[in-house]
Amino acid sequence: MENYPFSENSINSSIAFRSLVNATSYPGRTFQINKLNKPSVLSNAAATILITLCDNESNVYLSKEYNTEEVRNWLIFNTGAIISNKKNADFVIGTWKSLLPLNEFKIGVPEYPERSATLIIEETKYKKVKCNIDGPGIKNKLNIDLPNPELFIENNNLYPLGLDFYFTNDLEILSIPRSTKINIIKSEH
Amino acid sequence: MNEMSKNENLDIQIYNFAYLDENTKRMIRRALLKALCIPGYQVPFSSREMPMPYGWGTGGIQVTSACLIPKDILKVIDQGADDTTNAVSIRKFFQKTANVAVTEKTSDASLIQTRHRIPETKLKEKQILVYQVPIPEPLRFLEPRETETRKMHALSEYGLMYVKLYEDIAKHGHIETAYAYPVKTNGNYVTDPSPIPKFDNPKMNNSPAIQLFGAGREQRIYAIPPYTNVKSLDFEDYPFEAMKANFKCSICGSSDSYLDEIIVSDDGKRSYICSDTDYCKEQTKLNSKKED
Ligand SMILES: [Zn+2]
Repeated sequence: MENYPFSENSINSSIAFRSLVNATSYPGRTFQINKLNKPSVLSNAAATILITLCDNESNVYLSKEYNTEEVRNWLIFNTGAIISNKKNADFVIGTWKSLLPLNEFKIGVPEYPERSATLIIEETKYKKVKCNIDGPGIKNKLNIDLPNPELFIENNNLYPLGLDFYFTNDLEILSIPRSTKINIIKSEH
Repeated sequence: MNEMSKNENLDIQIYNFAYLDENTKRMIRRALLKALCIPGYQVPFSSREMPMPYGWGTGGIQVTSACLIPKDILKVIDQGADDTTNAVSIRKFFQKTANVAVTEKTSDASLIQTRHRIPETKLKEKQILVYQVPIPEPLRFLEPRETETRKMHALSEYGLMYVKLYEDIAKHGHIETAYAYPVKTNGNYVTDPSPIPKFDNPKMNNSPAIQLFGAGREQRIYAIPPYTNVKSLDFEDYPFEAMKANFKCSICGSSDSYLDEIIVSDDGKRSYICSDTDYCKEQTKLNSKKED
């Protein structure tokens, strides 16, 4: 009775998903992801999001750096996901610059706001602007650095429609859902 | 068991952790994350057959199954009590299918599945409260058509809801609704808090914990993230009041917890006790310490 032989996959995916629940619930805070077998170009965190959430109904857009045979094969073999264009993508993966402009991604429709893209932003080599964020999941206003904060402000203005973001870096994940309000802190020079 | 596979070398059966298969969990998990991104909005999902009938919390069970991890400590309550048939059978189900630890203590639990109550003990960050929801649509009694209620939510057309509440005031001098009292989540969607007493509504507001809602028969999932504004609908001249019976618990003496009325003798004598059995035990312990 004591130790049921649970499949390793189902245990690992449960632990990964719980990190995603925490990250999505507490925007702007960093949460840890475990290592997994994945293509070298993908971070552990980004690979975890894809493998935990995607199935054969998921459209995934891979930006140029990530659209390699290795990534495509890994994703299709493990999830059955469909490699798609920007317009139809449910999940999007790329560096910040490679995904701009954001206006091609789907933001949902008033009756079904959840039919929107989830963007996974890899790497942190973007111009950072100091911001102050507030909204659901944020206890006290939080200071974080964001690329092009004006785009996140525009996204929040679409609420309850909009895009949901995860920033991934090696084993770390941080979320900025559409509900997060952004204030730009004036740079000091 | 659902979807079990065989490990041929060892000839043992490999089970899916927490019952549901991985494909179902992926679908539920996507719905849950979108629900957290759009507080109070009802995300449709394809509810699965569970080994218990609707009305037994199959929506909550599916949400719990999708969220549970091996190191969770699970608490299950029904009307505030851990020992009712419904709570016991759900707890046993997850002990068997996920081998997780269980507790009756709110403060020790990492995931709490509930029917009809929010624990009295203040919840903490990263605790997950999963609500079993029979009717997720707060506008259902005004408008039975799903296409219409969807439009009303999309346009924030909640005038009818206020009219209904105001009619109550005109008729009874106060708002009659005592359970499933509607709330507005993050200033946007009107949301059904499940059939909790309105006494519990203020606990939903700005809670550090993660609140997830599952409706199995109606196939809806919704969420209230932590630190989210949750406001019970009211009027300037008739502000919302989270009232309770003006009595003390006859076991622990608490006057600030939600009480159940019980008949204590054959001649119909009444008494009041905490609906939250864990809270009542904790208060009783505190009292005996004070006396020592
Ligand atoms: Zn008591």
